[in-house]
Amino acid sequence: MKKNLMMRFRSIRTSIIFSFAFLIVFALLIFFVLSLRFTREAVLENSTEYTSQLIGQVNDDIDSYIGYMENISFLVASNSDVRDYLFEETLSEERKAELRERIIEVFKTLTDTRDDIANIALLPKKRECLINKGNSELNPFISVPDLSWYQEAVDAGGRAVISSSHVQNVIQGSYDWVVTLSRNISRREEPEAGGVFFVDLNYSAISDLCERLSLGSRGYIYILDENGGIVYHPQQQLIYSGMKQELITEVMNTEASSFLTEDGRLYTISRSEETGWIVVGVSMESELMRRVDAALKIYLLIAVGLFMAALLLAYLLSDEITKPIKALEHSMKEVEKGNFAHAALAVRDNNEIGNLSRSFNIMTEEIKNLIDQRDKEQQIKRRSELRALQSQINPHFLYNTLDSIIWMAEWGKNQEVVRMTSSLAKLLRRSISNEQEVVTVAEEVEYTESYLTIQKMRYKDKLEYEIAIEKEILQAKVVKLILQPLVENSIYHGIKYKEGKGTVRIAGYLAGGCTCLEVQDDGIGMEEETLEKIFEKHVRDTRSNGVGLKNVNERIQLYYGAEYGITFESAPGKGTTAKIRLPYQKEGAEE
Amino acid sequence: MKRYKRLFVLLLGLGIFGIVIGVGNLVRIRRNSQPLEIILIQKAIDETNDFWESISEGARMAAKENGAELTIWGPDSEREIERAHQLILEAIESRPDAIVLAPISYEETLKYARMIEEAEIPLILIDSIMEEPAGAGLVATDNVEGGFKMGELMRRHATEDTAIGIVGHVKGSSTAVEREQGLRQGLGEYQDQIVDVVFCDSSFEIAYDITCEMLKKHPEINMIAGLNEYSAVGAAEAVIDMGRADSILMVGFDSSTREIQLLEAGVFEAIVIQKPINIGYLGIEAAAKLARGEKIEENVDSGSVLVTKDTIYTEENEKLLFPFFGRSKEGL
Repeated sequence: MKKNLMMRFRSIRTSIIFSFAFLIVFALLIFFVLSLRFTREAVLENSTEYTSQLIGQVNDDIDSYIGYMENISFLVASNSDVRDYLFEETLSEERKAELRERIIEVFKTLTDTRDDIANIALLPKKRECLINKGNSELNPFISVPDLSWYQEAVDAGGRAVISSSHVQNVIQGSYDWVVTLSRNISRREEPEAGGVFFVDLNYSAISDLCERLSLGSRGYIYILDENGGIVYHPQQQLIYSGMKQELITEVMNTEASSFLTEDGRLYTISRSEETGWIVVGVSMESELMRRVDAALKIYLLIAVGLFMAALLLAYLLSDEITKPIKALEHSMKEVEKGNFAHAALAVRDNNEIGNLSRSFNIMTEEIKNLIDQRDKEQQIKRRSELRALQSQINPHFLYNTLDSIIWMAEWGKNQEVVRMTSSLAKLLRRSISNEQEVVTVAEEVEYTESYLTIQKMRYKDKLEYEIAIEKEILQAKVVKLILQPLVENSIYHGIKYKEGKGTVRIAGYLAGGCTCLEVQDDGIGMEEETLEKIFEKHVRDTRSNGVGLKNVNERIQLYYGAEYGITFESAPGKGTTAKIRLPYQKEGAEE
Repeated sequence: MKRYKRLFVLLLGLGIFGIVIGVGNLVRIRRNSQPLEIILIQKAIDETNDFWESISEGARMAAKENGAELTIWGPDSEREIERAHQLILEAIESRPDAIVLAPISYEETLKYARMIEEAEIPLILIDSIMEEPAGAGLVATDNVEGGFKMGELMRRHATEDTAIGIVGHVKGSSTAVEREQGLRQGLGEYQDQIVDVVFCDSSFEIAYDITCEMLKKHPEINMIAGLNEYSAVGAAEAVIDMGRADSILMVGFDSSTREIQLLEAGVFEAIVIQKPINIGYLGIEAAAKLARGEKIEENVDSGSVLVTKDTIYTEENEKLLFPFFGRSKEGL
């Protein structure tokens, strides 16, 4: 498995794609972790902020309730009727009834205008109590001076005192949950007179405030008084039963306006300067984090999208990056095959690969030059080699000819001796003169004719020849010593073995822009296999004048290219035709 | 190079793994957010009945905490047995994740509880039991314990001359039997001084009458225990009317405004009160746990408290004796 994976990384392109993928995944992971953390913090901060505002609002509302009640208490405490009722030493029954009437009237107006006032009462030390609308009685089984809110009011002097939430039990038959604001009304001159006034705020005013607020489906609000007693808690009874715990001392002791507990509850705290109460909002982190989960979902989508896009980009980019490398690779393969024609690369970029391509181009150019140079040198070498060979006249031929001359001289055939000797001289002169490699067709034919003259004299009646050269090619340029070897070949391999007279026909003509020279004999001809091997077999015949057919063909091809050369047509008993095709070159248009 | 590749493969794997985990989390969160559906069938839904209102309140708290969707059903009064049974059938029909049932009848409701069990809906009983045990758990006041608290208090005041009368509510009912049993245990050696046990069929009038009769029959009685609200209040009124309030020490069970007034007035020495909020709360909590496949306790005691005149207005008891439902606001 691992090995396979490694194998797949062999191509630079896949390496690039995988590297990209790796980088992307790595970057995305970091993005993920960081953004989640950041989102978490932001959500927490936002939630704290939001909760702070909410519970701050609750506190403000409570303060306004309390403020209102305090105003009432102040109003009542400074009311002249109330003061008269409390402090006037002697009161006639009528006066008392009158004051009662007027105070109750005030109470009535107050309770009628505000729904949230449960009770309002004046508890004088010396006189009868005035409660609500005047038709309620004190609870006979309750000792009012022992009640905490009463005591606190007395202890506070003339200041208003706020109780925690409690059941108001001083009024007979009524057990309302209230928050009591009480105020002691006294006069220094008469400490035994005076009394306590209280207003009860319906507990529902506060509990509604808290219940109305939503801190998620499981969050809640609770209120502590300044001593850490619970004013409101949705699970108050469960807490008293010991089934639930609430952080009370922690909240009382902390200076912070919010903190996060280990079990994932966010406590937000707001303290009221007015009442000293502490409103605490508790939100569940897990609920707040739902928003983070939503964010997570979006991040995931983005991440997947980015991953896809980046992979696509990596795919395209890697293509772009590896394209010149692939081109380079392709070119190198071409060069390996020896194909220099398409090796040159177009250098587009000025980067490493551009430099590499440039170097490669220079290198291939250099190699190509070297190869060309080598070829040229080889050609020159070969040509000089061939030239050295062509200049040699077979010593056998020379010997035989000279032998023939001696015999003819001995026989007194002067005429023939002169002819043969002059022909031999022509031959020798031509073959010795090495300066010119290219001669005219006329010269070449003349040379061949000298050779034929000698051979005809030697073979007497056995050999006959005809020469027919078209006039326009007489001055055409050809490589020298190409015609004679063919004639020699015809004589030694065709006519020599023929019974009776043989004829060699030399023809020269222009065909399709080419100079064509034909040597035709009516000798014994050749088998097809022999024909096929003709260039190999006749490498060097000791009896020929040394310029083999292969030599001739090679020279022609070296001079004019591979498309030129000698072709043979032959059939056993029918003779052979050798045909030389050369480019037609006039005098002066040499090479 | 090879090392890097291995590292790279590792990291790539990690990345993919991370993404898969992330997606998995999302799926899990979504599945978890499906709330449990719980139906609570009370003996009654009556705004003036503090006991059942408190149970509802406790139930709602637990539902909120457990992320459950709670529906509370019940007849208008505890006497509508047929209606209550009809509601059980409807509850089975709607196939909730759990049913919390306060059996309205000791004998007749059993059949319906069995139907819930047969429908394979998790069942929790609250408040009362039936002839035979049913459901996966029970949340109720330990009545023996409650009775014991009454008995123990009486024992403290008991002397050789003590003669005790007991006013029960329904003869043979589980709560009456258990409370009496606890009371006797609490009295200890004084239980022999119980001179009479009468039953009022949960009616003030009958309680009043039989108490008068009992006192006439046994004038030596100087301690009376009422085993529920009706018997306690009825007995107390009888005692007051016969002018024996000062000489007879009374102990009651359950609370009402009248009972609290009688406690304030000193007619009752003490009353034992149940914790209905806890019953509702613990009942729903157990149901939610059961529905989630967690283990639950078979029997949960929701607790009871002995309240004397001096402890009425303690923080702990105030909320039990005067449950607050924000009703006054609605009334206005």
